[in-house]
Amino acid sequence: MRHTLLALALSATCVMPAQAANLNDILNQLGNNPDLVNAIGSTVKNFADANRNIGPQEEQEIGNGLASNMLGAAPLVNDPNLQRYVNDVGVWVASQSGVTGINWRFGVIDTNTINSFAMPGGVVFITKGLLAQLHSEAELACVLGHESTHVLRHHHLRAIQSASGKDALSSALQGVVAYKGNQQAQQIGANLASGFSEVYVRGLDKSDEFEADINGMVLCARAGYNPYALPAVLQTLDALNPQDSNLQMMFSTHPSPRARLDKIDQVVGDRLEPWASGTENTVRFGAATAHYTTSNR
Amino acid sequence: MKTQPHLFQRCRLSALALWLGLALAGHALAESGVLIRTSDLKQKPFLDATTTGSVASGSNVTITSRQGAWLQVKSANGQSGWVKLLNVRTSTGTSSGSVGGTLGTLGKVITTGSSGTTVTTGVKGLTSGEVTSTHPDPQQLNKLNGYATSSSQAAQSARSANLSRKSGVPDISPTSTATPGSNP
Repeated sequence: MRHTLLALALSATCVMPAQAANLNDILNQLGNNPDLVNAIGSTVKNFADANRNIGPQEEQEIGNGLASNMLGAAPLVNDPNLQRYVNDVGVWVASQSGVTGINWRFGVIDTNTINSFAMPGGVVFITKGLLAQLHSEAELACVLGHESTHVLRHHHLRAIQSASGKDALSSALQGVVAYKGNQQAQQIGANLASGFSEVYVRGLDKSDEFEADINGMVLCARAGYNPYALPAVLQTLDALNPQDSNLQMMFSTHPSPRARLDKIDQVVGDRLEPWASGTENTVRFGAATAHYTTSNR
Repeated sequence: MKTQPHLFQRCRLSALALWLGLALAGHALAESGVLIRTSDLKQKPFLDATTTGSVASGSNVTITSRQGAWLQVKSANGQSGWVKLLNVRTSTGTSSGSVGGTLGTLGKVITTGSSGTTVTTGVKGLTSGEVTSTHPDPQQLNKLNGYATSSSQAAQSARSANLSRKSGVPDISPTSTATPGSNP
């Protein structure tokens, strides 16, 4: 699956709707996992077997449910100019993937926690706390490019299928069944949301975080920015005190900034140097974010 | 907190000057870093710029500015110039001395029990517990949807900000390796 998705995502000339989410793969795991069947019960299994066709629209609905949940914990910063600005930058960067048909929605959420999140289907959140650490539009663009890569390559679905996500998988399965039985986004069911929310607590696979960093730099460069703004953000995070409570969730769900810098050093090195003269900053970044970058220090 | 006040704080009074300053001159910084490998010191932030010296692996440097793939640094012995950003790490390590200061500025943190679990008060945070136990907020979701922009609108906005799509940027496999050491 991974190679297929990668090949599709990497094909720059290829114009297509968002690929179907492979939630089907989750359902397929029922076949070779008797413990899981026991955990969720045979009724659920039978229903799941009969309803395994989950496409982009459903992936988006699931993402919407997760986004709604996340917004219940931390609402959007009440600043339409800021939110529209972040969408302008995020969509510009994400569209450099060449993948069309994704309903991108970017938002700044009102928490001092330093983190960013991606939901299946195209929702990306950056926290007010992380925004406060950024110095330029290039840095913002690279962070959004990182998160967009998680969406483009369906990393959450992979995480939920991993061995460490067994409980999450079980919850998600029950949620999928609940969802298929009731086609309303708001009725997705606590199970599905909590199954996926586990992923936000456990974090994605390390290799997917590295992949998101590297492809985030590539998207950022294609969008006309200095791609080395991404390691610049990681240096800022690396310089923060790891004991800071606002960093705990990011540090527990991501490889350390230092490990990420080492990976970028090893994989990217000078390869994007020809694009390092790209845009660092814009007037619109200052106009939209000045209040947040000064008030949260 | 270890981080020094950065440009935004120091130039609060003149926002316009700040934006122009950032746009034209990169960031003014006053962070410290350590070289992870012996690095050429360049006169300008470009690969083919004149090499004016060398900074040994393990040296401490003060970072004064950042541009492209480069950091402008000052070494302990007074040399200054540009080194590759990826040759520098900024970790503060486990210096526990600054913990109190950090927490003091960001909120009161109560450490409960022997597990060391921290509970943040006074600051709206987003903890693991909040993410898993929260209730959905469909109105906020509607708001989020309302701020969405199309790719053509985003492209137009990017053009207004003097951005243009760059061609020739290669895909980079995360399992591939850059050529190391050709340009220290």
